[in-house]
Amino acid sequence: MITCLGDMLFPEVGVAMVRLLRRLGVQVEFPPGQTCCGMPLFNSGYHHDAALVAARTVRLFEGAEHVVVPSGSCAWMVRTEYPGLLKHDPALRAAADSLARRTRELSQFIVEVLGVTTIGSPFRGKVTYHDSCHLLRGLGESASPRALLRGVSGVELVELPGADECCGFGGSFSVRLPEVSSSILDKKLANVEVTGARCLVACDAGCLMQMGGGLSRRGSAVKAVHLAQVLAGEVEG
Amino acid sequence: MTGRAEFIERIRREVSKTPGLFGASSAPRPADPATAAETVRRELAERWPEALERFRVEFERVAGVFHRVPDLAAVPAALGAIAREYDATSLVTWDPAVLGFDAAPALTRGGIEVVAARAGAEDEAARLRHREQAARARVGVTGADFVLAETGTLILLSGSGRPRSTSLLPDVHVAVFGRDRLLETLEQVGIMLEALHVDPDRAMSGATINFITGPSRTADIELTLTRGVHGPKEVHAVFVEAP
Amino acid sequence: MSDALRRPFPERAGAALQDTFLQEALRIATTKFIDLRKESFAGFPQGEALRDRAREIKEATLQHLDVHLERLADNIERVGGHVHWATTAEEAREMVLRLCRDRGVRMAVKSKSMATEEIDLNEALEHAGVTPVETDLGEYIIQLAHEKPSHIIAPAIHKTKGQVAELFSRELKGSFEADPEILTAVARKALREKFLQADMGITGANFAVADTGTVVLVTNEGNGRMVTSLPRIHVALMGVEKVIPSMTDLVVFLAILARSATGQKLSTYTTLVRGPRRAGELEGPEELHLILLDNGRSRQIASTLREALYCLRCGACLNVCPVYRQIGGHAYGYTYPGPIGILLTAMLKGNESVRELAHASSLCGACKDVCPVRIDIPRMLVELREHLDREKIAPWTERVMFRALRRLLLSPTAYRLSTTVGRWVQRPFIQHGRLRGLPLVLGKWTRTRDLPPVAARTFRERWKELS
Repeated sequence: MITCLGDMLFPEVGVAMVRLLRRLGVQVEFPPGQTCCGMPLFNSGYHHDAALVAARTVRLFEGAEHVVVPSGSCAWMVRTEYPGLLKHDPALRAAADSLARRTRELSQFIVEVLGVTTIGSPFRGKVTYHDSCHLLRGLGESASPRALLRGVSGVELVELPGADECCGFGGSFSVRLPEVSSSILDKKLANVEVTGARCLVACDAGCLMQMGGGLSRRGSAVKAVHLAQVLAGEVEG
Repeated sequence: MTGRAEFIERIRREVSKTPGLFGASSAPRPADPATAAETVRRELAERWPEALERFRVEFERVAGVFHRVPDLAAVPAALGAIAREYDATSLVTWDPAVLGFDAAPALTRGGIEVVAARAGAEDEAARLRHREQAARARVGVTGADFVLAETGTLILLSGSGRPRSTSLLPDVHVAVFGRDRLLETLEQVGIMLEALHVDPDRAMSGATINFITGPSRTADIELTLTRGVHGPKEVHAVFVEAP
Repeated sequence: MSDALRRPFPERAGAALQDTFLQEALRIATTKFIDLRKESFAGFPQGEALRDRAREIKEATLQHLDVHLERLADNIERVGGHVHWATTAEEAREMVLRLCRDRGVRMAVKSKSMATEEIDLNEALEHAGVTPVETDLGEYIIQLAHEKPSHIIAPAIHKTKGQVAELFSRELKGSFEADPEILTAVARKALREKFLQADMGITGANFAVADTGTVVLVTNEGNGRMVTSLPRIHVALMGVEKVIPSMTDLVVFLAILARSATGQKLSTYTTLVRGPRRAGELEGPEELHLILLDNGRSRQIASTLREALYCLRCGACLNVCPVYRQIGGHAYGYTYPGPIGILLTAMLKGNESVRELAHASSLCGACKDVCPVRIDIPRMLVELREHLDREKIAPWTERVMFRALRRLLLSPTAYRLSTTVGRWVQRPFIQHGRLRGLPLVLGKWTRTRDLPPVAARTFRERWKELS
């Protein structure tokens, strides 16, 4: 599942994920009708609208054995919110439950389903990792991405102070309260600078957009990259 | 103004919408609190040295000062030493009958005045006199009904001959207790409080129960921890070894 | 309406961001509280199970709230206390004022109580010629300064010791050094007199035990004890949701409350008050009055904001909230700040009042993680936002925009078309491969952050060559 931001703004992340999964022996399909998981609608309170999007997405992925998403928040949306949104239609609810069971965020899929933690990647350099809120607190995942990063021999992983603190994105929050959102971001990026890392790794398109946008505006040498790009060796450290 | 019936009826209406909405389970409380309390006491009769040590550590962690004396006869001397440490020439105490000892004879000989609350003397004049004495005293001496090891907490029941202010108004509070007062956990305190309230003799004796964990403190100015904002600046615990 | 509310929320938040002292104070305070809490739970393995149990108790109690309230009232009356039932804030205020009038009360000392803040009791007392004196040091400071609390448990964290010294010197007629120790001693002396003179003590309640008719107060300073021991009348005001069934339940809450708030194992004083003074007691009030306050709470028992009724007012969710940490308590504009404050404001003042505040959260979930009773604050915020849409409180422009977004996301054709349009529209704004200076809503993004442009070839376009 490649959702809206990944599709339009970060296609290289999806490409890296596909190459990575294939290297790990996974047969990858991409249902072309997909658009967005519906979270922007859901978070702003437009639940009826989000349910329509969810219903569509659930049908699109009915045939897949596993559904892998390179974004913690979209994976969270599918896994924890779809069943509730579609509870009024028994057939859809069952399909949503099934999709929820089959859906994994990328790092979780690699570690839990494929049982792999060591990936040969040519990537070399010092990186730090930001825990996306929905992956960390929503899906309870903090170990898999770190394990995968440590599994790359050229990676030196430095813990980010306050790694578990929000980057200030929060979807529409970032434009509803841009000053507050940016102030949160400033603190996050100050912590990033302290680590001395060249790459800031995350597993969520929203966080990457926020943190990458801030780094780029500051003219920072640090790059915000997706875990898939590091693992696929498609960025330089 | 809303009456009770109307108020409760509105709540009942809302409550009636909840069954099936939420899984609810009440906290299990002891079926027979008195027996449960007795069991706790029996356990502690064996384990009191561990409980005492734990109390000492936790009490000192919250800035309490711990003392240990061999028997009740040694208490007045310990109180005298504490009083002199703070240049106190007088101290207020609970009723000696409640405390189990009378520090007055020994301390008076040493030049320290002892003002003891007396059970049964509660007319308006006694009230005013008592308040004035408590407000003036530098040291207040009480017993402790329960002593909680887990948190370093002294638990005091108010009542006849056991005024609330003795542990509140003076700069220094001293609590004297023996091994039979020790408890290990908050859960045991819960059992004791249940037992206390089903025992009609004790439940009606006083209106307040105070848990005291160290000296009065605040961090309201720039988060700087400061002691003695309203209550005592120092809290001492005197443990009497002899049963 | 408070002064703060005359400006819209984003402006209030913006002003807070410009206040460099506030920023520093917030950073220090919230970081310290977070560390203390973390440390305290780390050494307390049973804490997690106790949190679950505390949540269950709250849930079970609400399910029979009517029964527990009646039992509480019966037991309080049995030991000689009086119980009053206030449906609204106005009724609660009127009850206190009537007591003051009938009993000739001139001065009332107060221990910290969010419920009395909620009903604006101080203003009402002053208006009626009764002097209310806040006795929690933080509350005392802000009362002297004519301000509002900025944190549930640390009301004056926005003030420096220098400001407090200046304030005390002016208000208490002296010349005091900017030293917390000295300033605390000054307050001790000033307030000790008030405790001894006051006719009435006013408190909130952290809990009330139905089984025994006991009102429970938790403080560190000891002012709760003073207020309930020295004046001749004690009035306690509490929200109906504070009732718990038994003493067994009480100790569960005590084990997690202070740990969540300040990282202490227990707060210094936990005071259990059961009625007015008994025969044989030298001290304590002659009269005890408990005012049970509804003020919009009962409406939520079976509704969206139900879980907000579990709140213990520990303040842990404020400390971890990225938004609170940037803007502090005043910017929220109401009695209860922070993420839980948004929900409580909606409960007490109606959904209309949180039209903007409901969005003052990035939904990061840190609040839910630290809440001692695991209130799912992010979920309720999202549900609250749904109400804003359904009740047409959300601006119509926003509603139209999101409906359009829905149409876009439901049609792959429209979605694809939008990428094409995006590519075309973005052209003038691309600098060094990044988008800057975008108009309209997106301008709010690009003021401080760059945005990657819509890719020359989206993933779906590149998929063909991948397969």
